[in-house]
Amino acid sequence: MNYNIIGKRIPKIDAGDRVSGKSVFGYDIELPGMLHGAILRTKYPSAIIKSIDISKAKKLAGVECVITADNVDTENLNFRKDHPVLKKGEVNCIRDEIAAVAAVSKEIAEKALELIEVTYVERTGIFDPLEALKKDAPQINKFSKGDNGNKNISEAFHYEHGDLAEEKKKSACIITRQYVLPKVTPTCLSPSSITANYSTVDDELTLYSSTQVPFLYQREISQVLKMDPSKIRVIQPIIGGGFGTKLDIHPFEPICALLSIKTGKPVQILFSRKEEFIHSAIRQSMVIDLTTGADKNGKFTFREVKIIKDNGAYTSWGVKTSFVIMQTFSSLYQVPACVYDADAVYTNNVFAGSIRGFGNPQATFALERNIDLMAEELGMDRAEIRLINANFPGEISGQGLEYHSCGHKPALEAVIKHSGYFTRNKKNNQGRYKRGIGLASMLHVGGGAKIYPSDGCGTTLKLDTYGYLTIITGSSEIGQGSETVLAMMAAEELGIDLKKIKVINTDTNVKPWDVGVHASRTSFVAGNSVLGALKKLKEKLSDKAAQLLNTSLEDLVFENGTIRSEKTGNSFKIDKIVRELHFKPPHELCEVSYYYEPSSEFQDKNFKGNVSSCYAFAAQAVEVEVDTLTGKVDVLHVYVGQDVGKVLNPLGLEGQIEGGVVMGLGYALSEEMIFENGYLRNFSFHDYKVPTARDIPEIHFYPIETHEKTGPYGAKGMAEAPLVPTAAAIANAVSNILGVEINSLPITPENVLKAISNKQSDQG
Amino acid sequence: METAQSKISFTINGKKVERRVRSSMLLIDFIRNELKLKGTKPGCLGGECGACTVLVDGVAVNSCLYLVINVDGKSVTTVEGLSGEEQSLDVVQLSMVEHGAVQCGFCTPGMVMAIKSFKSQCDHNHHTPDREEIKKNLEGNICRCTGYVKIIDAVEALF
Amino acid sequence: MDFRTISPQTTEELLEAIKQNQGKHFRFGAGYTDLIPELEMQMENGLIVINLAKLKDSNFTSIFLSEDGIRIGALTTMTDVLSNKHLQKFPVLIEAVESFASVQIRSVATVGGNLCTASPAGDVSCALVALGAVSEILIANGQIRTVPLTEFFTGVKTTVLKKNELLRSVLIPHQKSAERILSGFIKIGNRNSMEIALASLAYHITTDKNGIITSAGTAVGSVAETIRYTESACEFLLGKNMDQLSEEDKETFADNVLKYANPISDIRASAWYRHQVLWNISKSIL
Repeated sequence: MNYNIIGKRIPKIDAGDRVSGKSVFGYDIELPGMLHGAILRTKYPSAIIKSIDISKAKKLAGVECVITADNVDTENLNFRKDHPVLKKGEVNCIRDEIAAVAAVSKEIAEKALELIEVTYVERTGIFDPLEALKKDAPQINKFSKGDNGNKNISEAFHYEHGDLAEEKKKSACIITRQYVLPKVTPTCLSPSSITANYSTVDDELTLYSSTQVPFLYQREISQVLKMDPSKIRVIQPIIGGGFGTKLDIHPFEPICALLSIKTGKPVQILFSRKEEFIHSAIRQSMVIDLTTGADKNGKFTFREVKIIKDNGAYTSWGVKTSFVIMQTFSSLYQVPACVYDADAVYTNNVFAGSIRGFGNPQATFALERNIDLMAEELGMDRAEIRLINANFPGEISGQGLEYHSCGHKPALEAVIKHSGYFTRNKKNNQGRYKRGIGLASMLHVGGGAKIYPSDGCGTTLKLDTYGYLTIITGSSEIGQGSETVLAMMAAEELGIDLKKIKVINTDTNVKPWDVGVHASRTSFVAGNSVLGALKKLKEKLSDKAAQLLNTSLEDLVFENGTIRSEKTGNSFKIDKIVRELHFKPPHELCEVSYYYEPSSEFQDKNFKGNVSSCYAFAAQAVEVEVDTLTGKVDVLHVYVGQDVGKVLNPLGLEGQIEGGVVMGLGYALSEEMIFENGYLRNFSFHDYKVPTARDIPEIHFYPIETHEKTGPYGAKGMAEAPLVPTAAAIANAVSNILGVEINSLPITPENVLKAISNKQSDQG
Repeated sequence: METAQSKISFTINGKKVERRVRSSMLLIDFIRNELKLKGTKPGCLGGECGACTVLVDGVAVNSCLYLVINVDGKSVTTVEGLSGEEQSLDVVQLSMVEHGAVQCGFCTPGMVMAIKSFKSQCDHNHHTPDREEIKKNLEGNICRCTGYVKIIDAVEALF
Repeated sequence: MDFRTISPQTTEELLEAIKQNQGKHFRFGAGYTDLIPELEMQMENGLIVINLAKLKDSNFTSIFLSEDGIRIGALTTMTDVLSNKHLQKFPVLIEAVESFASVQIRSVATVGGNLCTASPAGDVSCALVALGAVSEILIANGQIRTVPLTEFFTGVKTTVLKKNELLRSVLIPHQKSAERILSGFIKIGNRNSMEIALASLAYHITTDKNGIITSAGTAVGSVAETIRYTESACEFLLGKNMDQLSEEDKETFADNVLKYANPISDIRASAWYRHQVLWNISKSIL
């Protein structure tokens, strides 16, 4: 199929505003008469609050409002409704909000916080999930229903398929290991922000919020504040980075709303970088106990998995990562049997969130390390064992995932070939610097994920009498470039110039419903929605054009802003046709709406079912060099083979791949939130080390086009995938090169040198 | 004598400014809060991310680590100063757009200014930098979206 | 962050400002890349900042060659050091400056600031100690006193400077003419830029035409309370033939470097790692 726009390198339609500083981010908003909010947070990760005295703060000139749990009426927040907006009686993690102030300036608001007197009785916190599981441990979250076998288990997932005992018998090799994965944070470049504007006249609350899920947000905020959802208008200013952090509501958002409701004035809360480090969503830490088997030919037999996740003090959407992790263990590579248990355990640590990859980097790390170890034990090549077990088109996995398209094997083959795995990996490796190649694959949802009653997206199209199209989409742009892709689709279908297309996607009062930005779903779901709407719009235009051109519908071609008859060559400009519809009978506007719901299904209570319309597969090969004197790992090349279904915009696609790989690189090598007794010790870019421009490898990308039948033009979701296998591949490379086992992250120079030193003392 | 306020006079984006300012005021606060030029971004306020990069006498500095009293008599350029009357975007900005170097865009203005300064210095020395030098000159600007590759591509294409 | 400022333009005004404020709490501000983050974290009440950014005194602001060596003014920026032709013959210094922070920070951060901050991790300070540089301190009475950098640092973030003094310049004494120079700066970190050294080693070693080591200066950072000159390691090398060092010699040298290391464990690295890596890199330079 030949396309005019689809598949071309198209710069983002909003890039001009970004490079010129004209884009108004949430952090840049100023409203007339706006107050500044600030939040008082706990001094201790675990304590009883004896008293809170706000009287001095209230008297400070310039302070308009001080709130605590005692003078607001709210429901609890988040996934298990176990999270009070403002804490009363006790605090359970270092993020806990105790009081908030609105004042005429930020300085005064901060000064007022210092005047609030809180009396605490400090308690010994529980920071290790294993401690929290002990019988005599206190119940950490008093709202926990304790319905998962232990008062401190927030969510427990159990899954199985196949005959584990039988498969164990068939196994020629069984590997058991424990993997320890740290907490990391995406460090969005813009710290979080919110501006709330409540009108006392009509009881309407407008929130300028950086949420990725505006409609779920609207609904939950309404529950928390006990308001009518439709009285809440969510406006999404430009977001300086999302990566999943904006999937959950955080207390500062309803707090800001409450301050605005109480004062009747706009109120803004801006996080500092330190607050962003401590108080925004993080990727959860996990301990994964994994046993896997393979028969003598290297065919996988079974997997047995037990995961303990540090849930922190409250339960976010992040608890559902167990669900994605399960998929990796049940369905990445062919595996006849799998038994999986994952418990999210309450602790007095900061609570986990939903970060790009959603548990998959952790799961993939464990699985892919075990695969390398099995290959080693069986005396098989590490590439070979992956190739013979790779997923294939037409496969239905043990969990019921249906792979009608599947580029797993081609992805593996591409990176094996291009990395020179079989030639370069065999080089002599003596001396200080040692080089080698590591491999890893991944599986992720590629066509949305049905974890909410609807996984759909609505689109309204408006073609005006000047031939300009407005796409009003439910989906959100958070920097990933989806609005450009949607505009490209419209330009392709209608044959109009990209410059004549506007995308409106920032106002819940205007846009149709969408579940939000997550699960790499926007280009897929919103794309299909736009295509559905375009089909309706084209029908309307075609009917009129066929009449005007006196020809049949099949004879019409949309191109260069016109609709043309192939037979006669006669054409009408599109805007002319719109005017014909509008200003003459039938006097209709050229506007249509469409709602797209993916073909996926809710999984049953045993987690079986085809949760996504299609699946994304990827493989990465990384070439690393280890300095054996310092332990420093230098990643030289990352080869990415990824089944993207169809390349829609190579420029945007490459950007997502490169950004994902580098985020995976940080996860692998240098990023770690260091907590001591519930306090974060590294809360600046000084001490929390994200990759700089000088840390990046050469990234080579080989898109695999499998033309997914359910995808827009055959495309699949792709944006989370590139970060998922990177750390696993790097750990495999380093382990192979040094003959050590890297079973935890990050692979810092110190950890590498320690591994080398331990190996030497074992041998010595 | 020590002063809590100082009178300063400097040019910003080609226009002369004279103000009395608090002596300890940061340049970024002056730019964003007094002049309402919101293109300069406060990413960390600790000199670690580069999002607040502006040019002082043509040289890239972190405006979060610069006292506004010390731009007295100097010339400051912010990202807004690159869009002129003749052209809506500077060559650096155009190259960033074309090469897909922008995702969320919060690091972008600082990135643009750091590149602008680097480009001027290279031009001044008739020097064509290689990719390693380009990376070295971007080390003070953190980007979490792009993985830097497209940004480096955009810089490379300027020479 | 709120403080008052004095911005002297001449040395006289500067000395006057120092004298006038002896009874008050004041700090010096030059490049501000350390001072602003420090004050943002913890504001000091009633603080006066003597702002050196406007001082016009070439002793402070220039790098120049003199009879006794190369003099680097305390207010010269890192970028000034990188572009100075006289300093190119000290790779240890150039590499240290290049490894320091980012281009934005190098454009404003000063050599004097790096020294006076007295961080045990100071990159440029470490290189200057290895080069045997001498601090030249201006006293409020207008006199100058000199202190070798090996004696300049007295502890974490403390120096020999008294309240009525400030660092004017550092002098890198002329080095013996050398046939060969082995000079460099190794900074250990978790990433390639924007690092605070987990451990660092600065070295500047010269030989005659026969390969005999005629001078040796090595210093270590981030492994003790201050940057330390590793005197016994340097003495060990003197007179040896650079090309004929045995494995044992190299290890003895590394052992000697380690004598000056008394690292702590913190969130950045453990004492074990600092120790181990310092030994490894010390051995590797020879």
